[in-house]
Formats: sequence, structure tokens, C-alpha cells
Amino acid sequence: MSVVVIGLSHRSCPVAVRERFAFAEVKIPGALESLRGSGIAEEAVILSTCNRVEIYVSTPLEPGPAFQALKEFLVNFHAFEGELNEEMYAISEPLSLHHLFKVAGGLDSMVLGETEILGQLKKAYDLALQHRHTGARLNKAFQRAFYTAKHIRTETNIQRGSISIASVAVELAEKIFSSLNEHEVLVIGAGDTSEKTARALMSRGARGVVFANRSPERAQLLAADIGGRAVPFEDWPAQFQHVDIAISSTSAPDYILNRARLEPLMKQRRHRPLLLIDIAVPRDIDPEVNYVENVYLYNVDDLQTIANDYLKSRQDEIARCEQIIAEKVLPLLTSQKLHR
Amino acid sequence: MNWFTDRHFFLLAVLVYGLSTAYSVSLWRSGFRKDNRVNYLLLLAGFCLHVTAMSLRGFSLQHCPVNNLFEATMFVGWTIVTAYLVIGLVARLRFLGAFVSPLLFFLGVFALMPALDPPHGPKPEFTGAGVSLHAALILQAYGAFGLGAIAGLMYLSQEHDLKFHKLRAVFSMFPPIQKLELISARLLRNGFILLTIGLAIGAAVLGRHQDGYFSDIKVIWSLFVWAIYLALLLMRYKFAQGGRPFAWGAVAAFAFVLLTFWGTNLLSPLHHHP
Repeated sequence: MSVVVIGLSHRSCPVAVRERFAFAEVKIPGALESLRGSGIAEEAVILSTCNRVEIYVSTPLEPGPAFQALKEFLVNFHAFEGELNEEMYAISEPLSLHHLFKVAGGLDSMVLGETEILGQLKKAYDLALQHRHTGARLNKAFQRAFYTAKHIRTETNIQRGSISIASVAVELAEKIFSSLNEHEVLVIGAGDTSEKTARALMSRGARGVVFANRSPERAQLLAADIGGRAVPFEDWPAQFQHVDIAISSTSAPDYILNRARLEPLMKQRRHRPLLLIDIAVPRDIDPEVNYVENVYLYNVDDLQTIANDYLKSRQDEIARCEQIIAEKVLPLLTSQKLHR
Repeated sequence: MNWFTDRHFFLLAVLVYGLSTAYSVSLWRSGFRKDNRVNYLLLLAGFCLHVTAMSLRGFSLQHCPVNNLFEATMFVGWTIVTAYLVIGLVARLRFLGAFVSPLLFFLGVFALMPALDPPHGPKPEFTGAGVSLHAALILQAYGAFGLGAIAGLMYLSQEHDLKFHKLRAVFSMFPPIQKLELISARLLRNGFILLTIGLAIGAAVLGRHQDGYFSDIKVIWSLFVWAIYLALLLMRYKFAQGGRPFAWGAVAAFAFVLLTFWGTNLLSPLHHHP
């Protein structure tokens, strides 16, 4: 009896193939039932997310026949008629357990180190457990994988930091201001990234958001959607008295804010700290304004550099995570061999 | 020879602060990514030795041990380490130990210079609850100013990193700069209140009995320090946030106190009994 896994993920095939094999949640108990009924598996868990479809089984079969049977099961269950080559991977023990632990820890995710997958894996396991499709082997493997994922999260920096422009902007705001719920955000020119950044700031508790856009309809639409207020585009300088974070993404060919224009505004603000996020290309804000006291200016390159550095630091942590996984998988393999 | 005198215990405390300082260097290099229990425990061990030293000295004198520079510096250090241990109960603020330990080590080494601890006569010239309270409040004020300067130093470091887009600004466990500035301002404000009360008690208790109290160099120096901190606080309230000038002011004012406290004490007939 050994644990094997077969599946497709963002690493092996595009979404067009993955979506053909996705399991609707209501169909999973039936699929597990038929897997066990066919004799391929004694225990089984099906994980189906937007980035992967995987079947974990404890099987009495040798890996070769088990993989063949599982592949046929997947193809038949989804009535797939195309040709499959490298899209589907099959992993036997001990690497199947390593793979499970890596998936739980977010090491195999599209966004390295993300935590959503752990919740999805727990949900998949709970579903199988509720319908009594797991036993001693998979219970132990999954519970140990969850424990290891938590251990990785606390002991390494794999999940640390923001790797999108919007979340880096939020993190910067939290390094400047004591509490976001005392600060209002101004969005000048409502582009896609500035909208995402405003949403991220609001979700972290920002007091409100003001939209100033050349097209007032778009500003009003966003204000209604996110829960802020819209002002005429030409009124944005007047808003500097009230807001502490400004995101700019207009399509203006020149700077709309320079040092000479900002200094009197800072005086009106009694020099309260001001975070300026310039996402526009060409830039909206003259880099010189960063020399004004209590002003912190970040343009799209600065934000992207931080996001990339975060990603690099996550990648640097992979070796540490894999070492932890190797240490945690070893006792599991030893105990399974003893019980064979 | 008695190996368990108050000075020996204090020497041990300073050695532990030295260990903590050496350990802090590694924390500075790593950018304060984790809270640090090791440093907290080292400073707790140093605190226990520190308190033992102060208690031995206090019991032998039968009053608060603040009669010479050794005792005064030991008291300021005790104020700082006590405040840190309380703040450090919050795990995410334990990294502050990396800033506190070098200051404690520096103060400890300074206090241990033999000339600062001359043997007491049969009884210090001025004793009594009023004098003890005067000295204790003023030394606590300097402790608060020291912590305010540390918060100011953290502000300057974090503000610089944010201004120049350093990744360590977002990686570090430092509180937001707005909070650091507020902490520094509150510590300076509280220190200023303690200093004001301490000086008022000093004037009330000693001024009545001593001719030339207000011409004593230490009293003049203390009033000058009082004026510096008053100016800093007024400057801070003029703006919504003091920013870098305020943080530099907090650091520079405490550096001035550290560098001149010793000299004015020695020159003051009222505070130094040869």
C-alpha cells in the first residue's frame, strides 16, 4: 500500500486543459466513491482549484498500473476526448508525499508562498473525511502536511511580503501611518492599477477614498462601487488638505504635481506625512517632490522593484522550506514502512 | 575580599548588557525581521543583577541610591531597562532591545569608572525624602529622554529607508514612523514633566537651605536642559508632525545630556562632595 498522486496544474498545462478536468464540489463525493469502488484506491482525496486538479490515493496497486487506472478514471469521468502527453503528472512514494507537503506550503503555487491553497487543501481533505473516504494513511499524511505548512509559515519568510503593486502600496502606507482608518485616499485618474490599489487600501481600513477623474461618470461609478466620493478632476489639489495618501495615474503628458505646487499644499496640511503613489507612465509627479519634508513618493518602478525583491526573497527561502519538508516527511515514510 | 558587593553585581549586569549589545549587532544586520526572545532574556538577566546591585547600595545607605554619579547613572540605566522590559511584554516590540542594550552598556561602562563612586562619608550631606524624590524624579526624566532619543533614532533610520525606497523599510518590524514620532514625543513630554517636578522639589527643599542654589552650575545646566526640551516640545506642537527635525532634536538633546551631565556634576559643589 502506498500513497500516489496524479494531476494537472498550472505548471503542466494551460487553463484551457485544466478546466476540462475540474471537479464541481458537489460531484467530488461521487467521484471518490467510484474511485474506491473500482478498487484503484483504498483511500482518496480530490483537490480541485483554479490552478490544479489532483487525486491523492492510497492504493494497493503498484505505481505503474495505479497511474494508468487513475488516468483512465480522470479521462472517463470528464469524458475527455483529446490527447494527453505531458499535461498530466503522476508521482509515487516518497516524492508523492513531498509533493503534498509542497502544495500545502504554497511552494508549488503560481504565486509562490500564497496561503489560499492551504485552505483549499484542508477543504478537500475535510470533504473526503466527512464521506469516510480517508483512512489511517491519508489522514496521517494530510494532517502532517497541514502542520508542516504552518511550521514553514512561522519559521521561514516564504509567505512574507507583498508581490503585487497594490499590496506593496498598502504595506508602505502601513509603515508610515499608525492606523489607516484615520486616513483618506485620493485617486487622481482612475486607471486599473490605481483602482486596485484604492480597493486594497480600503480593505485594510482606509477611512475613505476620493476619485478625481477627467471622466466624471467613471469617477462616480467607482465611488459608488468602492464606497467613496467623486470630485471634479480640477478639484484634486484642494483635496490635499484632507487626504494623506494620493494615487496618481492620469494620462497627462507632463507632471501634474511638482515641488513648487506641493510645498504650499504641505503648509496647508501642517506638514502631515503624505504618501504619493505615481503609477502613471509617463509619470505624473516630479521626482523632486520626494525632497519635501514628510513626503514619500513612489513611482511604478519603485513599487515593482520592491515586489520583485520580495519575490526573490521568497525564492531564496525555497531551499529552507524543502529542508523542513524533508525532515517532516522522513518520520512519515518510516512509520508507513513499519506498517506495511 | 568580598566578591558580592553592589559594584560587583553591577559589573556583572554591565557584562550581560555587553553580551546583549554584541548580539544586537546581528539583529541590526538582519533588519529586525523577527521578535527576539534571546535579547529580551539577556536584558532580563541584566536587570536582575542591576536591581540586586541597586538594592544592596540602597540598603547600605538606608535611602534611594542617587548620591553620586555612579548611583545616578545606575538609576538612569535601571529606568531605561525597566521601561524596555515592560514594553517588551508585547512580542512584536521586543526588537527594541537591540537599541536599548548599547545604551545600557555605554551607561554601565561610564558608571563603573572608579572616580564616579567615591566612598561616602558617615552620611551624605543632604538626605531625606525630598532630596531622594528630587534626584529620583530627575533621573527618571533622563531615562525617559533616553528612551525618547532611541525612538527618535529608530524614526530617523526608518524614515531614511522609506524616503530612499530601501526594501528593508518594508521588511523591518519597526512600528510606523508616525507611531515612532508619537512615542518619542510622549516620552519627551513625560520626561519634561518629571524634570519640572524634580527641579521644583529641588528648589523647594534645597533652595531654602543653601545660599547660591540658583547660581550652582548643575542647577543652571538643569534649567538649560529643561529649556531645550521645552523648545523641542513647543516646536513639535507647532507642526502636526515634528518629522526629522524633532527626531534629530530628541537624539541631540540626549547626547548633550550624556556628554555634559558628568562634567557639570563634578563642577557643582552642591551635587559633588569630594
